Amino acid sequence: MQKDPSRIKVVVATDCGSTTTKAILIEFVDGVYRQTHRAEAPTTVEAPFADVTLGVANAVTELQELSGRRLVDDDGTILRRASLDAADGCDMYISTSSAGGGLQMMVAGVVKEMTAESAKRAALGAGAIVMDTIASNDRRRPHEQVQRIRELRPDMVLISGGTDGGDTKKVTELAELIAPAKPRPRFGGEYSLPIIFAGNRDARPAIERTFSTGGFDLKVVDNLRPTLEREHLGPARETIHDVFLEHVMAHAPGYDRLIAWADAPIMPTPGAVGDILQAIAKGRGINVVGVDIGGATTDVFSVFDGSFNRTVSANLGMSYSISNVCAEAGMESVLRWVHLDMDERELRNRVKNKMIRPTTIPQTHEALVFEQAVSREALRLAYVQHKAFATELKGVQQQRTVGDAFSQEESGRSLVSGMKLDLLVASGGVLSHAPRMEQTASMLIDAFEPEGFTELAKDSIFMMPHLGVLATVHERAAMEVFERDCLVMLGTCIAPAGTAVAGKPVMRWSARWEGGSAEGTLMAQEMRLLRIGERAQVEVTPERGFDVGGGPGVAVKREVRGGSVGLILDGRGRSLSVPGGAEGRRLVAAWAKALELYPD
Amino acid sequence: MVLGADAGFMNPEKMLLCVVLAATCACILASMVAARAGRVPKIRRITGLEAVEEAVGRATEMGRPILFVPGIQDMDNPMTVAGITVLSRVAGTAARYDATLDVPVSRSLVMQAARESVQAAALQTGQPDWYDPERIRYITDEQFGYAAYAAGAMARDKPAACFYMGCFFAESLILAENGNAIGAIQIAGTAETAQLPFFVASCDYTLIGEEFFAASAYLSGAPDQLGTLRGQDIVKALIALVLVFGVVMATTDAFSPEPASEPTAEVAP
Repeated sequence: MQKDPSRIKVVVATDCGSTTTKAILIEFVDGVYRQTHRAEAPTTVEAPFADVTLGVANAVTELQELSGRRLVDDDGTILRRASLDAADGCDMYISTSSAGGGLQMMVAGVVKEMTAESAKRAALGAGAIVMDTIASNDRRRPHEQVQRIRELRPDMVLISGGTDGGDTKKVTELAELIAPAKPRPRFGGEYSLPIIFAGNRDARPAIERTFSTGGFDLKVVDNLRPTLEREHLGPARETIHDVFLEHVMAHAPGYDRLIAWADAPIMPTPGAVGDILQAIAKGRGINVVGVDIGGATTDVFSVFDGSFNRTVSANLGMSYSISNVCAEAGMESVLRWVHLDMDERELRNRVKNKMIRPTTIPQTHEALVFEQAVSREALRLAYVQHKAFATELKGVQQQRTVGDAFSQEESGRSLVSGMKLDLLVASGGVLSHAPRMEQTASMLIDAFEPEGFTELAKDSIFMMPHLGVLATVHERAAMEVFERDCLVMLGTCIAPAGTAVAGKPVMRWSARWEGGSAEGTLMAQEMRLLRIGERAQVEVTPERGFDVGGGPGVAVKREVRGGSVGLILDGRGRSLSVPGGAEGRRLVAAWAKALELYPD
Repeated sequence: MVLGADAGFMNPEKMLLCVVLAATCACILASMVAARAGRVPKIRRITGLEAVEEAVGRATEMGRPILFVPGIQDMDNPMTVAGITVLSRVAGTAARYDATLDVPVSRSLVMQAARESVQAAALQTGQPDWYDPERIRYITDEQFGYAAYAAGAMARDKPAACFYMGCFFAESLILAENGNAIGAIQIAGTAETAQLPFFVASCDYTLIGEEFFAASAYLSGAPDQLGTLRGQDIVKALIALVLVFGVVMATTDAFSPEPASEPTAEVAP
């Protein structure tokens, strides 16, 4: 039963990760919700404990010790308050989970770029890892597809295909590939593999017949592409969440108890992050990109004009996948961000060491510079993949005029635009735990190349998953904590879009803030950092051919947010090009000095 | 003109034409040789041709047919030949997706050429059973009779993708507007300048003039064809330069003062 939000004043939230269970305490203090304490303990989903609630209880016990508020009952469960005046216990307990590899799905659709892509978007948006996408045009022969299906061990399968009233033959053929292949689920020998069908409603009887052979638990939901012009992912995502709870979580050790403890459905961690970013984008009416760079994967989330997308770059990360980052980007691309003389052979050794000892952190200045260079490339590649995925719907009729004779753009344009981006949120070890905030801001700018005015922030303790679940039950509390405690504002970047020619001016600027002001001309390839405090009034007049959001050469005057770093003026133009060799090193050193990245 | 026994092998008055022809051939041959040697020219993306996959995909998802109209002229028209080249690509994609392709034609020879082209595409894709000759059928030579059939077929079958590739006249707008009304993705290609604005306004993608003729080279990617394309472009650029030079010379001449005429001595009778 949904609790009355006015009676929720103390919230305990946990995120059960693969290695660590993180707990936070949110309390109503002086009329606003604040995150007051944080604790963590090792996750206990694996043997010998094989009970996730032990780790949760440990983390909450630490929270109890830090806060002085009793939160764990004598029987080891989360203690609830008897009344609003009670000093002990909490009003609500919520949790997310990515333990045991999170939610792993296989998706299938008729055409790879159409219904299969929508199915993939639904699965990723729900917080899943998509193991493979089967489509009738994926250029694999049926026996190869069957072989692949048999190899995978997904938690569930999402099938889509055909618009309502459209194709039934192809989507049934897909089902006829999956049913006899009998993919085995990850958990439980007697577990019926959940199949979610979100395709053409006319194909439902045939699909039901196909999966009636046993061993499957078929759930039929609304078509996620009722017409090619419309994507309707909500019902499929909700069913994925339900199945995640009913089947996947219920079969994971200790999760039945955890589900009983929680006052809101347990969500997959990335799904919860997506929810909070959507809530923020909707609440503030802005476009947001969020990134979470981990050891093995990098998640990118975006909300542009209300359209949410998430991608998981499975082979881009800072420890297990670091070798892949260097191989995919090329050592030359990584080294262009390094301003120090380094021996390439030594760097290669460093990469391999990081891969086999993933928990090590840089011990020297050189190691830190190199790790941050790798992170720039990992983030850049992940963002490129995200931009290619977050597109307009394909297969949609275009409306033209005679004026389009020489500019007939293809459909499926990327929704992600550097100029429309308002807020860039960073999380993940290399970004959150960088020794200096300036380094985090610099990595974000170099990798994402924001254009115009863009606010930069970081989620220092990865609180977004907790707030994502909280937003489903108490949006106000989630928003207040997000603004006050979750995000650490780094500052604002102003980057004119255009081609920067060395020695030529890019824009004239002036800024006024409490206790100071400055003005000047930003030259090409120049970066400047202004410590503006909380906020500043800024006026920028871009040169001809440069745009800061108002159009080429049009001046823009507005208030910008400062933060731990301040206001960064980026005169390097877009798209960003860093020359190699000595000239490149000189430039990168100058940018590092201008942004005070490595002052010692 | 009556040629006498003393007439030479070459007509000196046509010598310039001979030089231009030789230069054109040399350019094209040189480009072909260069392409074969590995210097294959790069062609910019032609969105209309790239969208073939998308249009066929739409038809597959919607479970509806694809309509291909190869114009209303016979095989002696280069536009019809270019249209059949594109048909081959569309048929190959449709065979791979197992989508239905309808090709009504207005000339018997075009029907035969279209059938062979579609059958070859199906074989090449490894889907020989997909080919159905009954779907490529002759309608009528009559322009508006053909247009009326095509419009009726659109209204009845509601194809999800319509292709108009060939030579079109007044029926272009009838076809394209009907296709637009049923919500089909439409891709057109013609070199008929009078019909291009109609196609541009009512179709999703339009191959304009030279793009249409370049389709064969673009789709095949064969070095010979791409080299020919480059050779033709070089010749066209040279002709454009000569035209500009001529215009400049003529303009200069028009604005230059007339040279003062020499005084002529009057001769007493």
